[in-house]
Amino acid sequence: MADKRESWIGFGQKLKLKSDHGFLIGTILLAVFPIFIRDAYFLHIMIMALVFSVLAASWNLIVGYIGIFSFGHHAFFGIGGYVSALLAMKAGISPWFGLIIGGIVAALLSFVIGLPCLRLRAAPYIAIATLAFAEISRMTCLNLVDLTRGEMGLWGIPHFPDIILPGIGVISFAGGVRIPYYYLILIIFVVTMTIFHFGLHSHIGLAFRSIRDSQDASESLGVSITYYKLLAFMTGGFFAGVAGGFYAHYLLIMTPTSVLSIGIMIDIVVMTLVGGLGTFLGPVLGAFLVVLGLEYLRVLEEYRFIAYGILLVVMILFVPSGIGKKLFREKQLVD
Amino acid sequence: MITGKLVIEQILNGLVLGCMYASVASGLTLIWGTMKMINFAHGEFYMLGGYVMYFAIVSFGIPPLYSIFLAVVIVFAMGIVIEKICLHPLLDKPDWDISAFVATLGVGIFFQNFALRVWGERFKSVPYFLEGTLDVFGFRMAYQRIFIFAVTAGVMGGFWLYLKKARFGLGLRATAQDRDAATILGINAKKIYTITFGMSCALASLAAVLLAPIFLINPWMGSVPLIKGFITVVLGGLGSFGGAILGGILLGVVESISVIVFSSEWKDVVAFIILILVLWIRPSGLFGTKEW
Repeated sequence: MADKRESWIGFGQKLKLKSDHGFLIGTILLAVFPIFIRDAYFLHIMIMALVFSVLAASWNLIVGYIGIFSFGHHAFFGIGGYVSALLAMKAGISPWFGLIIGGIVAALLSFVIGLPCLRLRAAPYIAIATLAFAEISRMTCLNLVDLTRGEMGLWGIPHFPDIILPGIGVISFAGGVRIPYYYLILIIFVVTMTIFHFGLHSHIGLAFRSIRDSQDASESLGVSITYYKLLAFMTGGFFAGVAGGFYAHYLLIMTPTSVLSIGIMIDIVVMTLVGGLGTFLGPVLGAFLVVLGLEYLRVLEEYRFIAYGILLVVMILFVPSGIGKKLFREKQLVD
Repeated sequence: MITGKLVIEQILNGLVLGCMYASVASGLTLIWGTMKMINFAHGEFYMLGGYVMYFAIVSFGIPPLYSIFLAVVIVFAMGIVIEKICLHPLLDKPDWDISAFVATLGVGIFFQNFALRVWGERFKSVPYFLEGTLDVFGFRMAYQRIFIFAVTAGVMGGFWLYLKKARFGLGLRATAQDRDAATILGINAKKIYTITFGMSCALASLAAVLLAPIFLINPWMGSVPLIKGFITVVLGGLGSFGGAILGGILLGVVESISVIVFSSEWKDVVAFIILILVLWIRPSGLFGTKEW
């Protein structure tokens, strides 16, 4: 272990930068930059980066902290989106409640898929079982044409209704505005990360990491594997569902391919692993790097994804454990 | 109407489909068993096999049988090159399972988009190797499908014998069981890894070239076999070569029969539900002996 840690010493570690500080500084920067840059396109990219940050962070909770290699996380994103959108379109339920209901439904379904995964140990088995669940949800959305319009997708999803904030006035989400959406996803992001932060610094986080490091040892010490694994699954599923709900009411259009395809899962994996699996800020860093990076690779036009593939391989060859571990010092359980 | 004849015909079709799953899955299980990694670029090697076959037959006019051979050999060589460049440097470093997974993900994204940009998104077709159908007791089977079945069965059988009896096969299994012990006994584990990776790619390529006349060749052709291959591997028990073959045939037959019972758009849902149930009841797969 010692040699592993020494090689991680990077810029941030020399400054004794902890991921908590990084998170605070980053959040402040994210909160103030729209004062200076109001370009709609750039804001859209930042919104997408934040959506993927929430997704990657919630996946990281399941994979990086408790060590269940779920490969069906995009299902919860899509389910959250579809539930919230359909509730708003068919039942007239306000998207503000839809966001939460979508998250709760995603959490309940992650409980359902979490149960068979409890008995599985090896990463590939869990990956396939969860992927199978995600494919079932995708095909269900695809085949229930009467409800979801199948591959035609949902369009005309209602946007968030106006809200009145004391001191600021009426905030309208109508007409393709970006700033309110940007701040809404920023709030979702900050709430998610704060809950994760306090959760992971409590006895829950300790139990998560003990299960990841040795399931047998932690079980023998009285840690309830079932409880903590399902807790991780449901928490991750909930926040992925909320992110999905936001995505639906932001883009106002959704198809099974756009939210439930395995491509989303691959993006989440790449972002988290580029940033650093099992680190607090790694997934967020990775999400910003990949989303912004893919935008700047647009200069390469159709060769963009070829370059993306090569960059991914090069990155993993030179920084196999992710950039997050290079930049920030993670608190070690034992030295 | 569900008639006995229809069921038997679907079972025969399922056997052919199962051969494809088995041959894709055996490559995946081979890699998992020896290198303990998930190869997410496996579907792309399948696709490359299809393209090599297409160019050999259509552009260069090489006879189908030689083209099959050529495609398998070229993809074998590509697998070895990719392993040397992208995976070899990662060996023996921490987080091997995850870093190898991401590396193959990158390789997969690269090849898929390379095919899309260089060879275009038009679907390409390869002519049937064999024309005509065989009629036995009123059941009709295209010679092409019989050919697929025979070649896959032959290659799988041969490969199984090779793993059991040949010197390299023994070395491979020894490395899979215990790499350190194998190294002490003079087996070059890294060389075994390289060749195993190549072989696994060659098996994927074989499945592609045999099925090329039935399914069209396109940049995305590898994604379905990849997912089906993973399901097969997990169903049969990871790392078990026999499990991959039996699992593949089982999956193919179950899928074909579920088309009769349910409508065809729900057949994959049925397959996935069966998979989850199997894993729930038998967490190490149907034929897996050991939990990894």
